[in-house]
Amino acid sequence: MTDERRQNADRRHGERREEEPTRIYILPLWVRMWHWTNALLIITLCLTGISLHFAESTLPLVEFSLAVRIHNVAGVCLVFLYAFFVVANALTGNWWQFVPKPPGILRRCWVQTRFYMWGVFKGEHEPFPVTKEENFNALQALTYWFMIYLVMPVIVLTGLIFLYPQVAPGELFGMDGLLPIAVLHYISATIVFTFLIAHVYLCTFGKKVSTTFRTMITGWHEH
Amino acid sequence: MYARKKSWYHALLLAVCWVLPAVAAAADSAGPTPEMLEKIRKANEECFSCHSQAGVQHPPKEGMDLKKLAGLTKDPEAFKGSDHQRLACTKCHNEGYDEHPHAAGAKDATSTCSDCHSKKADRVEKQFEKSVHAKNLADKFTCTTCHNPHVMRIAEKLGDPSKIVQQDNRVCLSCHDSDEKFAKFAPEKKSRPLIDDIHEWLPNTRLHWKAVRCVECHTPAVGAGEPLSHEIVNKDKAEKKCVACHTGNSALKTRLYRHLVKDEQQKYGFVNSVVLANSYVIGATRNPTVDTLMIGLAALTLLGVLAHAALRILMAYLRRRTK
Repeated sequence: MTDERRQNADRRHGERREEEPTRIYILPLWVRMWHWTNALLIITLCLTGISLHFAESTLPLVEFSLAVRIHNVAGVCLVFLYAFFVVANALTGNWWQFVPKPPGILRRCWVQTRFYMWGVFKGEHEPFPVTKEENFNALQALTYWFMIYLVMPVIVLTGLIFLYPQVAPGELFGMDGLLPIAVLHYISATIVFTFLIAHVYLCTFGKKVSTTFRTMITGWHEH
Repeated sequence: MYARKKSWYHALLLAVCWVLPAVAAAADSAGPTPEMLEKIRKANEECFSCHSQAGVQHPPKEGMDLKKLAGLTKDPEAFKGSDHQRLACTKCHNEGYDEHPHAAGAKDATSTCSDCHSKKADRVEKQFEKSVHAKNLADKFTCTTCHNPHVMRIAEKLGDPSKIVQQDNRVCLSCHDSDEKFAKFAPEKKSRPLIDDIHEWLPNTRLHWKAVRCVECHTPAVGAGEPLSHEIVNKDKAEKKCVACHTGNSALKTRLYRHLVKDEQQKYGFVNSVVLANSYVIGATRNPTVDTLMIGLAALTLLGVLAHAALRILMAYLRRRTK
């Protein structure tokens, strides 16, 4: 998005757009395939992970040994899928979408936050509409970058050590060396779970509640 | 006068019958004196001079049947670490062993476990009778089939759970992971099931065997503070619910870690931190503060999202009405 376009978008902020609906193709098949596979794996891992961490015979959770097996298989699949995504992102140039472009990143984040906290209730439109060049607003790009390139490596790496606990240090601070690995895995998993809740909800911010969900299936964005 | 004399006589008799044995028992329970221990050590050294690998390699006497002796050796170092380390060999091998060659049939006079551990033996006997080993191999099984009196230490004295696991699992696996030894005990035609195959359902099987004992699952549940049962159960009755251990109120506290539970200090805020010193056990070694923070974060996000959605719906409705 050029500066001029950003300024125009800012100017439009708070006003209702009267333009005709437009459709732009923004998501290639491989991104959509990755997204839904990733979603399926993350949901599976969250459900089984909760069943393992909060294991109680009285809670209606997935049976422990079954949860271990599912979690292990889904975890290994996620490792490969994540590796695929990072490589494909680099090769196709899609990684650029996750980089918020200066100038005015913080200001645009603030405008976006203000929209979520105030403008949306007044019926305002997205302050930074989706374009073919820029699929994400600055806040989205920052959040996705944080999730993909910071939280995901932690969860994948700690998960792999959990899968092969013999590689974890034998002992740390008088405790089993797996403890910091387990705590990091747990905290990063909670961040992913929390992100999932907010992510699904923010997808209802499209032209209609279902619009963004449809975009994620067809690849065509409508506004 | 006669009555007074009679009462003195009774008091004296009471002292002889009750008080003196009590004093003797108290002295006994205090353990042998250093002089006695030195005497025992020297006497045992004499036994080990033949009954050890070193004895077979350098026999102290000529004309010994070394082939026979090789099957009768013990590890002196292992014995020094065992529960019976302060006992003379002749405490159990008591008749006919003073001279060499030993008396014919001396072996038959060897003391049994119940000669000293009668109370324990009574309790264990009842449990053992229900054991899978008693059902199938009663005539071949004795205490020493599993509990090598020259080597073993009770769990409480070993203290370190990893050492307890290593010692106790070696007992089970010495038969159940060895075709040769299994065949010695098993009924004819019964082939040894492969230990990994029958435990295939158990995730991280070999890691479990390093961290917990076979008897953690292959004995019935016990109450807090009670010793583990000698009723070894087969796969049909064995514990298969992972949550027996992998939960806040973990059975590990009444089993492998029962001697250490008194040391539980919720280190770093973790429940079952006494377990955590050795193993991170998913579901059992939890930190309630971290749990509250994580659940709180997820719950607040969900609540925030629901409140936001409700407000959006309400505002959209109001906007439509005012149009």
